[in-house]
Amino acid sequence: MKKILLACSSGMSTSLLVSKMEEEAKARGIDTKIWAVAQHQAPTAMEEADVLLIGPQMRFMKKKFAKTAEEVGIPLDVIDPVAYGRVDGKAVLDKALELIG
Amino acid sequence: MNRFMEVLENILMPVADKLNNNRYLTALRNGFMVALPLIIFGSIFVVIANFPFLDQWLSEDAYATYKSILDPASASTLSIMGLFVIIGIGYKMVEQRGGEAIYGGVVAVAAFLILTPKVVEGVSGAIPTALLGAEGMFLGIFTAFFAAEIYQYFVKKNLTIKMPAGVPDAVSRSFSALIPITLTLTIFLAVRVIFSYTPFETVQNFIYTIIQEPLTALGSGLPATLIAVLLIQVFWFFGLHGQIIVNSVFDPIWYTLNDQNLAAYQAGTDLPNIVTKQFMDTFIVGIGGSGMTLAVIIGIFIIGKSRQLKELGKLGAPAGIFNVNEPVIFGLPIIMNPLVLIPWLVAPVVIALITYFSMATGIVPKPVGVIVPWTTPPFISGFLATGNSVAGGLLQLFNIGVVFLIWWPFLKIMDKQYYEKEKNAAA
Repeated sequence: MKKILLACSSGMSTSLLVSKMEEEAKARGIDTKIWAVAQHQAPTAMEEADVLLIGPQMRFMKKKFAKTAEEVGIPLDVIDPVAYGRVDGKAVLDKALELIG
Repeated sequence: MNRFMEVLENILMPVADKLNNNRYLTALRNGFMVALPLIIFGSIFVVIANFPFLDQWLSEDAYATYKSILDPASASTLSIMGLFVIIGIGYKMVEQRGGEAIYGGVVAVAAFLILTPKVVEGVSGAIPTALLGAEGMFLGIFTAFFAAEIYQYFVKKNLTIKMPAGVPDAVSRSFSALIPITLTLTIFLAVRVIFSYTPFETVQNFIYTIIQEPLTALGSGLPATLIAVLLIQVFWFFGLHGQIIVNSVFDPIWYTLNDQNLAAYQAGTDLPNIVTKQFMDTFIVGIGGSGMTLAVIIGIFIIGKSRQLKELGKLGAPAGIFNVNEPVIFGLPIIMNPLVLIPWLVAPVVIALITYFSMATGIVPKPVGVIVPWTTPPFISGFLATGNSVAGGLLQLFNIGVVFLIWWPFLKIMDKQYYEKEKNAAA
């Protein structure tokens, strides 16, 4: 199972993406767990994730999260602003899967 | 233009990084988050206690009884929110450093209580609840910072009693906090004694006079408010979460102003402040999210011809009603888009002015100090924030109309551009 974690300020806007990504994963028949958290919950949530994607409006958190991500041994990146604006579940899922490798 | 944008972003990114990731501001933000459920609980009961028309339907006695039954709910939470913020900050400060966080919370509260004068109208042994709310907010925040830092310093110094192997973990842990807490609180006791020999008499009074009063006076004024509003917009224009960044600094001020209003509202006296947490959350952010984009979505439904904008409207509307508007900000797009810069910056300033003056003149009641979650849809949030006043809700609807008018010409140009691009692509 691919465990994809999204994080933004309060986990609100990333949760919009979660449902779109879940739809896409289901259509492709990929077994996933996708969930969104607020920034202060991200470090603990990372321990259970395979990848962390950060909302572009919180991209200044990347450096801080990168430390924890390295400890836990998972990749992370900032979500592309255009894909974020379109709530493009497909593009973001692709990105997540690519990062997990 | 691009070069200029790049330069500006290179300035804003580090600022966002510093403000959001600063250790103290992070603890402050998370401390408020700890207090939030309690604040909301208290707010719900203030709203219920002040339901409209109840004072006319019920007899005077019955109404007084009704209120006094519900009063402990807000008196024990919302009115003394400083106490919970202190626990939260102390806890989070120590947690950040990987220490035993609960001791950070209790040491912060104890330090704060040591500095708090325990006399009410000549009666000693009582803690004035006002000092646990608005009046003590700044002292509480600073005390929590210092207490947690000093505690953590002593823990690091290893001034702990080491237990021999075989002593249960919980027992040795309780001892490990003993010396650091004793030393930390002794320092605060000394500070209290020192201040009793100054003209300020108490640390409480010192912080209140020197820091809290000037800062809240500044923060309740229109100039500082407009600067905060503009900063939020500028950050968002570069795709950075302006709210989170600016709130880190302004929240203590806005919450304090909020609690001052609540105290006045409960006492039935004139509300002192217009600018409060709820002024920002309900009347600036609360009509569709940062930049008030619910009006933009409505505009798209009315004038949108291009597929791109119509899609965006459908995508953005359901979240927009609950003031989540990242789809609009990133999808319109608003970020880095010179075409929308003018309405993006102008609309919130105009709305802040309209809201301010409609409250200053008494057309719309001032926020009464209840905290309404920022995801509450417009009209409802305005109604609740102004003490169950329809005028508060109507002001939001009026403001949505104003934002729409400001955006209208720009939206029209944008829609036309997109529409022609789509037509050309199809041809």
